[in-house]
Amino acid sequence: MPAPNAPLDHAAFEFVRAVGGIEEYRHRANGLTVLLLPEVGDPARGAAAPVATFMVTYRVGSRNEGAGLTGATHLLEHLMFKGTERFNRERGTSVFQVLQRVGGQINATTWYDRTNYYALLPSEHLGLAVEIEADRMRGARVRDEDLASERTVVLNELDRGENEPLRKLLHAVFATAFFAHPYGHPVIGWRSDVETVTAEGLRHFYDTYYWPANATASVIGLFDRGAVLDLLDARFGAIPAGPDAGGGAEPLWVHEAVTREPPQQGERRVTVRQAGQLGTVLCAWKAPAGLDPDADALDVLVQLLSAGKSARLFRRLTDRGLSTHAAAFYPRLRDPGLFVLYASLAPGVAHEAVEAALREAAAEVVRDGVTAEELARARRQVVAEEAFARDGPFAVAARLNEAIAVGDWTLFPEYRQRIEAVTAEAVRDAASRVFDDDRLTVGWYVPTGGEAVDGETADGDASEE
Amino acid sequence: MDHGPRTTDHGLLREDHPSPHLAERVVEAEAGAARLWLLPTPVRDVVAFRGSFETAPDFATDDDLVQHLLADLLDKGTRRRDRFAVAAALEGRGAELAFYPDGLRVGFAGKCLRADVADVLALAAEQLREPLLDADEFVKEQARAVAGVRQAMDSTSAQASGALKRRMYPPDHPNYNRPFEVERAALEALTVERVREYHAAHFGGTGLRIAFAGDLDPAAVTEAVRATLGDWAPHGLAARYAPDAAPTPPGRVDVPMADKHNLDCRFGHALALRRDDDDFLPVYVGVFALGGNFSARLMQEVRDRQGLTYGIGAAVSGVAVEHGGHFRVSVSLSGANLERGLAATEEVVRRFVAEGVRADELAEKQETIAGTHVVGLATTGGLAARLLVNAERGFPVAYLDAYPDLVRALTVDAVNEALRRHLDPDRLHLAVAGTLPA
Repeated sequence: MPAPNAPLDHAAFEFVRAVGGIEEYRHRANGLTVLLLPEVGDPARGAAAPVATFMVTYRVGSRNEGAGLTGATHLLEHLMFKGTERFNRERGTSVFQVLQRVGGQINATTWYDRTNYYALLPSEHLGLAVEIEADRMRGARVRDEDLASERTVVLNELDRGENEPLRKLLHAVFATAFFAHPYGHPVIGWRSDVETVTAEGLRHFYDTYYWPANATASVIGLFDRGAVLDLLDARFGAIPAGPDAGGGAEPLWVHEAVTREPPQQGERRVTVRQAGQLGTVLCAWKAPAGLDPDADALDVLVQLLSAGKSARLFRRLTDRGLSTHAAAFYPRLRDPGLFVLYASLAPGVAHEAVEAALREAAAEVVRDGVTAEELARARRQVVAEEAFARDGPFAVAARLNEAIAVGDWTLFPEYRQRIEAVTAEAVRDAASRVFDDDRLTVGWYVPTGGEAVDGETADGDASEE
Repeated sequence: MDHGPRTTDHGLLREDHPSPHLAERVVEAEAGAARLWLLPTPVRDVVAFRGSFETAPDFATDDDLVQHLLADLLDKGTRRRDRFAVAAALEGRGAELAFYPDGLRVGFAGKCLRADVADVLALAAEQLREPLLDADEFVKEQARAVAGVRQAMDSTSAQASGALKRRMYPPDHPNYNRPFEVERAALEALTVERVREYHAAHFGGTGLRIAFAGDLDPAAVTEAVRATLGDWAPHGLAARYAPDAAPTPPGRVDVPMADKHNLDCRFGHALALRRDDDDFLPVYVGVFALGGNFSARLMQEVRDRQGLTYGIGAAVSGVAVEHGGHFRVSVSLSGANLERGLAATEEVVRRFVAEGVRADELAEKQETIAGTHVVGLATTGGLAARLLVNAERGFPVAYLDAYPDLVRALTVDAVNEALRRHLDPDRLHLAVAGTLPA
C-alpha cells in the first residue's frame, strides 16, 4: 500500500497535483475532476470517525441563467431528488430512502456559481452515494409531473425567504447594484419565472451542464484511495465528457459568455418597506472577482472589520448602542461581486446614523490603514479557522466547494499561506480601490408598523413593496 | 420490499481504523468541583469543549431572564480586564468561547488550538467567577435583549412556537414561552443589582461538568481545570419549577402578522415522558418515522407527493430527565395552501397513530438513527456536546456506545404500543402564525 501522500498510479485516472493533503485526479476518458482528502489516523490519538463525505460540484449556478429562466438551477437541483429509473420513490429507492437509511446526512445547495450534491455517511456506505450521483448525472427523469409538485414546494421556499426582511433587502441591493450581470437576480429566481418555467426548459439546462467534464467529485474522510478511484471509474467512467455539440464543437460551458456588468458611475440607493420591528442598513460596494490579487486582502479586511468583539464594526456600532449586530462579508465569486457592510438597528436609532457609521468605518480604513496588531489578530483567527475547518469531513467539503466554484480549489488548502502573506499596506490599497462612493449601493430596510424613531426620514431612489 | 441495487463496499473502509468505542477511549476524571470527560481524537491542533453547571433558577420569579442577561454579560469584562481585553485574549488566539443559558443550567462551549487550552480555560474561569457586571454594560445588554424580543416578534416560527407552548405549559415550566410583550416588560424591569445578586447566589461549582474532545493530553487538561475551577464553591440551592405540563383543552390559535406570506404552523401536545423512561426511545423512534427526515411519512406525503410545503417534520421536544416535554409537528405553508396543508398534515398524523409504524419502515429508521449517531461523532464539537448531554442526564459513557443497539433492538410492537400510550391526535393543539389568507 503506498504512503498516504504518494500519488496513485491508476489506469483510468491521471494524477494532476497534490496540495495541502488534497490530491487531484482527472478521468482520462471523460475529464471528471476528482479531489481526494483521506483522513490519516494516528494510533496514539485514537481513530478518526469512520465517516466520509462524497460531494459532486457542478460549475453551474444562477450566474448561468438568463431572463425567463431565473431560478432554473435551483429548481433543477430540487428535481434531481425526484429520481431516475433506478433510484426513485415508487421503488422505495429514492435518494433519501437509500442514503438516510444508512444514516447519511444528504442535501444539495445552489449558489451563484455552482450547484453541489453531498452525502456525509458511514464510510462503509460510500459506494451507495457514488452510485447514486453517477446515476443521476445523466439519468434524472425531470418529468412534468415531478415539476408540478416541486414548483409549489419551491414557491413555499421562496415565501419563507421573503418573510425575512434582511434577505429581501439583499435581493433588492443585488438587483440595484447589477443591472446587467446575472448576479442581479436572486439565486432562487424571480417568482414569475419559478411559476412558469417548464420541464423542457429545465431538461435543456440539465443537458447543457450536468456532465463529467463540468463537474468535480470530492471524497473526504476515512476511505481507501485506490478503492475509491476504482469505484468512481466503475460508476462515472462510461459517461461521455459532455454533450455532443456536433462537428467537434466544445460544450456550451466552455465558451459561454456571461453578460459583463457595465461600470457603476454613481451611488445607488434602494429601500424595502415591510412590516416589522427593527430596521437594517446595508452598504455594498462593487468588489473584484474571487481570484483577483486583492481578494485575500479583502478577506483580511472582513476579518478585522467584523470578527468578534475586538473588531471595528462591533466597537463603532454595537458597543456604542447603534446596532444589535454589525458585520462585513465578501463572497468570493467567479465574476466581480460586492463587498458588504451591514448593521441591524438598535431600538430608537435612525437609519442615517447607522449608515454614517458604516461609511465612516470604510473611510477610516482608506484614510488611516490598519494596525499591525489588527493584522496579527486577523491572521491568527484565520489560522485557527483553518484548523477548525479540517475538523470533520463536512466542514472541509463546504470550504472546498466554494473554492471549486470560484475557479481554483487550491484556494482552500493554500488559504493559510495566502492570508499570512497579506500586509497592512495591501489591505489599505485594496480597501481604497473598493470603497469608492460612485461604486456604492445603499439599502435600507424600513419596518412599517413598528415604533417610530424621532427625526428619521426614509428615502431611496427605488423602493420595493 | 425491494430496496434496489446495492453496492459491494468491501475495501472502501481501511481495516486499520476500527469504529470508535467511546467507553474505552474516554478518560473520566475529577478536578475538584468539576467532573471531566476527556476524549483524545486524531484531529490536528483542535480542542473543543462543552461544559455546564447547575444554577437552581426559580422559574416563577423570572430567574430564567436574569440568567439569560447574566450569560450575555460574561464576555463584557471581568474584575481584572475590560471587555476589549477579554475579547483580545480570545481573538488573539483565534479561539472561540460562548456562554449560554440552558434551562436549569448555564452552559459554555469553546474551541481553540491545542497550545491555547490552558489559557482559554483560565479565561473562561475568570469570566464565570469574576465577571465585572458593569452597570453601563448591563444597560446595553438589556437593550440588546429587548431588541432580540422585538426581532423574534417578526419571526413566524417564534410566534407559532411560543403560542403552542403557552397552550401546553404553566408559566413556571422550563419549556414555557412568555408572550413577547410580557417578556419585554420583564426584561425592562430587571436591574443590574438583581443580576449581581443572582451571580453571587447561583453561580458555583454545583453540578459542574465539562467534556473535551480533540488533540488533547487528558492529564494536562485535568490539571488546567483543577487550577482554575477546581475550588469553585457549590451554592447548595435547589431549582424551583413545574416539572409537568398543564395543557388547556385542545384548540387552535392564530397569530395574525402582516407581510408574512409563509405561515408557520405547529401542532402539538404534552408528553408525560422523561428522558430516562423506558418509553422514551420507542416514542422517539416512532416519531422519527413520522417526521424525522426527508424519507419519513410527513415529508414523503405532504411535501414530495402533494407539493404543499417546503418544510415539515415531527419531533419529541423539550423532554429532559428533570421534566416533561411535548410531541410537535411543524409545517410551513404558503397562504394559498394553508387549510389544505393543515388538513393533509393532520391526516398523515392520524393515520400514522392509528395504523402504527410498519416493520420495513421501522427497520429503515433504526438504521438511519444508528448511522446518524456515528456521523454525529465526526467532529470534536459534536463529540464534546454528546458527552456533556449524556453526562447531564446521568447516563454512563457506555450508553453512547450501546445506543445504536438499543435502537435496533426495538420491535414493531414495542414502538407501536408506546406510540399508542403517548400520542393522541385528539389532544393536538394547533398554532398558526403569519398573514392569514382572506
